[in-house]
Amino acid sequence: MLSKILPEKIAHIVGSKINLKSVNEIRFRADKPIIVAVGGKNYFLSENGLTSSLKDALYSSKIVIEDIIFRASECSIYSVNEQIKKGYIVTENGLRIGIGGNVVEENGQVKTMTNFNSVNIRIPHAIKNCSLSYFPYIVHDNTIENTLVISPPGCGKTTFLRDFVAQLSERNLTYNVLLLDERGELDTELDANFFDKIAFSSKKMGFENGIRSLSPDLIVTDEVGQEEDVDAILYASTCGVKILASTHADNMETFIKKALFQKLIKEKVFKRYVLLSKRNGPGTNEGIYNENFSRLSSSF
Amino acid sequence: MKYIIIAILFVICLVVGYTFFNKYNKRKKFFKALIMLAEKLTVEINFSRERLKVLIENFDKTTKQNLLGIDEGFLNYLDRKTELNDKEIFKKADVLKKEEKDFILLFLKTLGRSDVENQTKEIANFTKRFEEFKAVSDTEYKKYGTLSLKLSLIAGLFFVIVLI
Repeated sequence: MLSKILPEKIAHIVGSKINLKSVNEIRFRADKPIIVAVGGKNYFLSENGLTSSLKDALYSSKIVIEDIIFRASECSIYSVNEQIKKGYIVTENGLRIGIGGNVVEENGQVKTMTNFNSVNIRIPHAIKNCSLSYFPYIVHDNTIENTLVISPPGCGKTTFLRDFVAQLSERNLTYNVLLLDERGELDTELDANFFDKIAFSSKKMGFENGIRSLSPDLIVTDEVGQEEDVDAILYASTCGVKILASTHADNMETFIKKALFQKLIKEKVFKRYVLLSKRNGPGTNEGIYNENFSRLSSSF
Repeated sequence: MKYIIIAILFVICLVVGYTFFNKYNKRKKFFKALIMLAEKLTVEINFSRERLKVLIENFDKTTKQNLLGIDEGFLNYLDRKTELNDKEIFKKADVLKKEEKDFILLFLKTLGRSDVENQTKEIANFTKRFEEFKAVSDTEYKKYGTLSLKLSLIAGLFFVIVLI
């Protein structure tokens, strides 16, 4: 899938000299060395694969970056402008490509992004059973607890959500799951049977339309980060729909202090909080907490 | 033998005339098709926002035949099979002048590279220039296209009369 968007030479190196299964990210910055993140550590990309030596590193350029974005948009940047406005593109294969550049604003609204100067290609991985140790705390007595997965970026939140949905399917728990997928990446490599998907919609629209039209038992959504997302979750919780969501925070202390979540914390909407980090590589389990922020298990 | 030579000369005259006629006709049809493609792209980019590859593949087949293979060349570039240069794009478009080729190449290079608003403006600017090319090719067709056919017919008849 990377061969479709990377320059031929780089695609060849990545395809033949690197084990993609262990790669988390590839970063291109204008006139800077190409960085490959493997297991939470950064390396330079060289002719011979990964290296720690800067003198062997291959450098990226603005043209390379523009071409990656062009190819990632299937040669049609106009068709993904709504995503570019939010700073990323998701390819047809579910690769999420973060974009750095100049934001063009008009009347307080982001119109587009130009002068691209960096891209971060995140390689999705399905890590089987990565949610398994938390599963009994979230699903019991045939009910699912509203759960929020918390971690800094790149710690495996999306992978956790994906695996959780796959675990439900594997156990034949025929909940109707709705993937509310703003970035179109939640079902990448997802091996599950009972899910519907609303992609590239705001959470507000997705929750309202999804609940009305698809009658889900569980809504799974990534990266709650705005006031309207919180309102949408509150709305869903009053409709009897269960929620599995994720958000960014360093740790529980930081999360508890976040103004955005005060309403949800006060109303005790989420009954479980899962904390992930990359202390021992992305997806390190740091604990599961209940609605009162008491740790439920010390076995992690 | 004499009649065979006369017939051959007559046919040669017609072929030469038709070749010139065909050149001007191809140019005329090409620019008409190119403008239609640009208009189609403008509409679709604004409304369906469908991918460039799909838009070009689904472009009207009859009109596409007049594009002298530039659509195929461009699709090959989109599929990463070839480079985007005049050698690859204009393989079958020898009736175009250098200035026209340069401009069309520039047009192709800008496709898919910007957001809806800018892309629409760019296509509109290119279309204006394509219309100028079309106006010139229409005039050339009227002036030289039909004229070369008529002249070749006259020349052929002239040989027939003189040699008989």
